[in-house]
Amino acid sequence: MQELFPSPAAGRFGRRQKRERGARIPVTVVTGFLGAGKTTLVKHFLATPEGAGTAVLINEFGEAGIDDALLRDSTEKTVLLGNGCLCCNFRSDLQVALHRLVVDRERGVIPHFGRVLIETSGLADPSPILTTFATDRALGGELFVEAVIAVIAAADGVKTVEKFAEARRQVMLADRIVISKTDIADEEAADTLTTRLRDLNPRARVIAADYGRLDPAWIADAASARDGAAFLAEAAEVEHTDGVKSFTLTEDTPLAWEPFARAMETLIALRGADLLRAKGLLNVAGCRGPVVVQFVQHIAHPPVELAAWPDADRKSRIVFITRDIGEREVRDLLAAVRGLAKA
Amino acid sequence: MSKRPAKKAKASAKKAARKSAGKPKAAKKAAPKRTPKAAPKTATKTATKTPAPHLAGPSNVTWNFKLIAHDTLAGFGGMGEGMAVQVAKDGRRILWLAHESAPKNFTAIDVSDPRKPKVIVQTDLPQGHMRSNSLELTGDIMAVAYQTQKTGQVPAGFELFDVSNPENPKSISFTDCSGAHSRGVHQLWFCDGEYVHMAAGAPDFKPTHELDDQFYRIFDVRNPSKPTEVGRWWMPGTREGDNAPPPPRHQKPALDKGFRAHNTNVYPERPDRCYLGYIDAGMYVMDISDKAHPKPLCRWDNSPPYTGFTHTVLPLFERNLLVVTDESTNNNAADWPKLVWLLDLRDEKHPVPISTCPLPPVDAFSSRGGRFGAHNIHENTPSPYCWHSDQIVVGTFFNGGLRAYDISNAYQPKEVAAFVPPAPALSPVGAIQLNDVFIDEREIVYTVDRFTGGLYILEMDF
Repeated sequence: MQELFPSPAAGRFGRRQKRERGARIPVTVVTGFLGAGKTTLVKHFLATPEGAGTAVLINEFGEAGIDDALLRDSTEKTVLLGNGCLCCNFRSDLQVALHRLVVDRERGVIPHFGRVLIETSGLADPSPILTTFATDRALGGELFVEAVIAVIAAADGVKTVEKFAEARRQVMLADRIVISKTDIADEEAADTLTTRLRDLNPRARVIAADYGRLDPAWIADAASARDGAAFLAEAAEVEHTDGVKSFTLTEDTPLAWEPFARAMETLIALRGADLLRAKGLLNVAGCRGPVVVQFVQHIAHPPVELAAWPDADRKSRIVFITRDIGEREVRDLLAAVRGLAKA
Repeated sequence: MSKRPAKKAKASAKKAARKSAGKPKAAKKAAPKRTPKAAPKTATKTATKTPAPHLAGPSNVTWNFKLIAHDTLAGFGGMGEGMAVQVAKDGRRILWLAHESAPKNFTAIDVSDPRKPKVIVQTDLPQGHMRSNSLELTGDIMAVAYQTQKTGQVPAGFELFDVSNPENPKSISFTDCSGAHSRGVHQLWFCDGEYVHMAAGAPDFKPTHELDDQFYRIFDVRNPSKPTEVGRWWMPGTREGDNAPPPPRHQKPALDKGFRAHNTNVYPERPDRCYLGYIDAGMYVMDISDKAHPKPLCRWDNSPPYTGFTHTVLPLFERNLLVVTDESTNNNAADWPKLVWLLDLRDEKHPVPISTCPLPPVDAFSSRGGRFGAHNIHENTPSPYCWHSDQIVVGTFFNGGLRAYDISNAYQPKEVAAFVPPAPALSPVGAIQLNDVFIDEREIVYTVDRFTGGLYILEMDF
């Protein structure tokens, strides 16, 4: 139906956006194993000017440790905090809780929050949370995951990631990693952890936080050029435990969209469950700006064309985090489909 | 057609009201002197402040807009629906604003640095019963509409100014549109430097109903010192002597606003078309290839069952779409819903409504004070200093604030940004009443309050 009224100013993927999230509400997902210090980090963030107007979603109020004095009415599902923030618990269904928040915001019955911060339970795998935002039918039209932040304690972080697959998954899928409680850990432990984290997730930015204090920009900033640089820092395939691999594919010449999309459809159809996350910035033939693509398991986010490239680099780059799918297999698949399309 | 507005003097008010127009002799003295002299006195005190970036709370919203400046315009912050940008010969960027009502006529603000707006001139109306609700500018010539509170009052018409020296606007001519049954000019469109299209009464026009006094008139202003009417059109049945019967009135008194013209937009893409809002008659697309004989090509009217007051018709030429706005004119959402509509214009003779821009729930706004609902939108004015988009619609919704919609999918407009500032100080309705919006080619957004809030300057962050 949209084809009836095309705009010559629009690109292949619709209106060109100034940024990947477009006009959607930014979402930050804070993961971390039990006792990692997620709550302290979140509380500090909410008290900063950048944290104003944040809606926090948590599993349980008790877990968040929100001061009872701040609760307007503990029987309500949504409670107002200071600084224009609000807090909402989701015992079972995150999607329902988010939908209610968006509707209440629209109706003006809660503050018009400008950011959502989801604090996951310690044992949560972030992948299902990410899929919640992947399609318009879910909440992808209203909300956009800007960053996944994993919090890990300096003292016992190494042990945690060795022992628990969930903790490893949190680290591997993170865009940014915060090493917490450095004030109560010795320097050697923190260094060892940093090395291990870089091994697990070389593309993420890692930072240490004392007493949960962190530059709020680390939580509030959109994916930046710095994140992009980290994307490219990973030159070769890295194989982690549990068969999880991460690798980056780059391409110097503009990509034809159709073969790329068909190849990704094939990959999703055959191995979607093992495609943990893929995110890229593509130079698509015929597009003025870069096209942002993102895949989480069986779901492909709608592609977004940006109005302009962030820098002079025009290479296509896409990072894959997979389980038992290697770089060569993906590269060969893309090349094979491209070859067929040409034929 | 060359008579000028009467001199501002209480003693002259009654005398002037008895006449059909102001006296040229008095006006010649008054117009050039009044404007430059008034400016320095009223422009000295300008309250400029930049509020916090995030206005939290259900009443105040700053979402995907960034407020960069607010100016209450020297205490005269009740603004109308005339906004135009000029780049002066010395390179300064000047924003010209029409006032909603007396005592002020128009205000010019230097917005070269949009973070530091500076009032450079503010002029007075000669009569308290006048309002200069509308203005437009081409090059260094500005046209200003003059309307009176009641029929028969003077001066009523439009005035052309030379604003090549922005601090010293000089009157070029005043065109009288007053009459026993006329309130003068409510709105005008002047974008090609040649013709002024307007919603105006006339001395020779006797409507069948007193509210139907303003119709579509076209003036040739290629000689700006001597504007000449070249064409006119009114809805059949609204003038005494018409063959057609008078149109049935909308529900009285609240919704009976008149079968009369409002916006008269003409664009260079189709200089042979006028996109005409006609208040309680809906909207018309007019064939003006022969300006002496404008002809309606089609009409679309949503009321009843809606509540009338069609205001603006914005064509998106390359998409075959029309954006049509209602105006909310009753307080407390008594005339809800007032909407921004998208029409399929693939067949110019059969416009079809396909969607509306979603408004926030009425129960969240109806009791905030003042009006709630659609009014003006950014009109893609044909000027090099105006931003143009056929994918984004930005409109003012009175206490619903400023809202931007992505209409890439014409069937599903989606709100992408909103700005609802707190009630301005001394607002008689206790709420913001954003009245008009203009976006310059730098993507700087200017929006104005109807009562006291003056000018808000924003960046689009979406």
